Amino acid sequence: MSDTLSMPHRDDAERLGAPVGERVAPPPGCWRLARGERHLLIERRALGVGLLLLAVLLAASLAYLCLGQQSLSPAGAFSALRGEGDAMAVFVVQELRLPRLLAAWLTGAAFALAGCLMQTLARNRLATPGIIGIDNGATAFSVASVVGLGVSLAPPAMAMVGAATAAAITFGVASGGDTRGYRFIVAGIGIGAVFGAVTQLLLARVDIDTANAAYPWTVGTLNARSSGAVTGLALGLALAGPLAIALARSLSLMRFGDAVARGLGVELRRRRVQVLALSVLLTALAVAVAGPVGMVALIGPEIARSLASPRGVPLTASALAGALVMVLADLTGRLLLAPIELPVGIVTAVVGGPWLLWILLRTAKRTSP
Amino acid sequence: MTPSHRLETRSLSLAYGRTPIIEELAVALPPGKVTAIVGPNGCGKSTLLAGLARLHAPSAGAVLLDGEDIRRLPTRELARRLALLPQEATAPEGLTVGELIRFGRQPHQGWWRQWSGDDQRAVEAAVVAAGLEALAERPLEALSGGQRQRAWIAMTIAQQTPLLLLDEPTSALDLGHQLEVFELVRRLAADGRTLALVLHDLASACRYADHLIAMRDGRIVAQGSPAEVVTEALVHELYGVTCTLIPDPASGAPLLADLRRA
Repeated sequence: MSDTLSMPHRDDAERLGAPVGERVAPPPGCWRLARGERHLLIERRALGVGLLLLAVLLAASLAYLCLGQQSLSPAGAFSALRGEGDAMAVFVVQELRLPRLLAAWLTGAAFALAGCLMQTLARNRLATPGIIGIDNGATAFSVASVVGLGVSLAPPAMAMVGAATAAAITFGVASGGDTRGYRFIVAGIGIGAVFGAVTQLLLARVDIDTANAAYPWTVGTLNARSSGAVTGLALGLALAGPLAIALARSLSLMRFGDAVARGLGVELRRRRVQVLALSVLLTALAVAVAGPVGMVALIGPEIARSLASPRGVPLTASALAGALVMVLADLTGRLLLAPIELPVGIVTAVVGGPWLLWILLRTAKRTSP
Repeated sequence: MTPSHRLETRSLSLAYGRTPIIEELAVALPPGKVTAIVGPNGCGKSTLLAGLARLHAPSAGAVLLDGEDIRRLPTRELARRLALLPQEATAPEGLTVGELIRFGRQPHQGWWRQWSGDDQRAVEAAVVAAGLEALAERPLEALSGGQRQRAWIAMTIAQQTPLLLLDEPTSALDLGHQLEVFELVRRLAADGRTLALVLHDLASACRYADHLIAMRDGRIVAQGSPAEVVTEALVHELYGVTCTLIPDPASGAPLLADLRRA
């Protein structure tokens, strides 16, 4: 490509025998890993934030395994994990708490990563999938499949269809081009309200037992998950996570606005579709497990951004923070009014509502992520 | 940097939806020179710049870079040859000057080429060119308007493109800060870069540009060096203002005096 340039490209000079082992000073705050022609930058702050969040997440997870109606010591929890000791403790940890903990990790990470992607795409920190109606779309379709409208597809597939439908309508109404600003968000809120009403309508038409079965979808809980949906989410996250990280460099430029991003070589149209698709996929799969716990998509990235440097888009940190929020929220829901369990969606809403207000009031002028 | 890169249009038409903004325009940026695109508000000058940078797809005609239609160039390839600073560029909160400038290297980088010796040298050179040595670690919010604009321009300098398009780079700046930016623009042209600036201030265009493209209602009214094309009649045609032109005692560039609304 560069041979079409009349100006010799410096990279060519390097390849043509300029110093190969030259010492390159990394930018401030970064480590540079070089091997042959390949070189990576590791941002020390991002690494530190990631390790910190991981440590806190592991500590919270240990608390999650220990605490509950049957409380265990950390040592007791560890031996129960290995299948040793009291049979009841082994059952509680291995059969009840651990699978639910894994579901909390996966849903929290997926919601928050989807939120971070959508916020970056829309260049608006309020534009999470939950707020622009995608959660409600996924929920409405999942409930439809549960209460049965002659549709017997698995909830994950239905959630995916619903999420994609809601996203398509929102983007269509907001006329595609301008994803920033209030037109997009207002359109999304409207679409979300319509799908919310559809869910209510579906529940009103069925008998009380069926409505009860579908109720978890409407509030968000980790108590009614199907193992198929959890597996689907795990696979989805394993696919979408690396893809999101591959998009990280484009994402960091998209924050500067369309003109700057395109001027710096981002193929904006294609990238937008990819980011949107990942966000919809993650949200749908997470909704299929836990229902609409959309607040995590707002809180997770917000925590990540407040810790990370503004150099990049904190994808990994958002996912870790989302998992942490989900674990803590579900733990709170289990403990607060025990033996009655509060759905995790209610806990995150109670915490997330004031949080949302605080964001709105604190940053009345600035809404960019 | 060799001044051999030519950006020109071939009967270029640009439209917003069905509303034509520019029709059948033929302009060329003289290599190694500073071109100013001037005209009244809404004359299509920013749209022309967006068209030149491929941000706005033509409804007819083409923009040619060294004779090749820019729509055929891969996005990254174009970004290595042509840099653009749009009017409303916003940066993430807390970003430092150095971090902003380093983003200018993205078209030269990849996932496995994140920071080469070339990147380091280009960023250092851009920091020096824009006179930002003392400010590289400061957050953008802590800078004055002129310093911030120089930081943004430095990002495009780090991109190491022979062509640089700036949309109203001085519009929100006071006189001293405007001079900072214009002096930087002149230094970049002296290095052999080809620059095009959209300006709403005809007086600065006369003083700092080598070549003027004067537009009104999507048409070109005059094209050429300021001393040749700026006349009292042109000022009247562009802005509906009568004036007396006198040569700047220092530079000889035309100065607008005795301005009155016609």
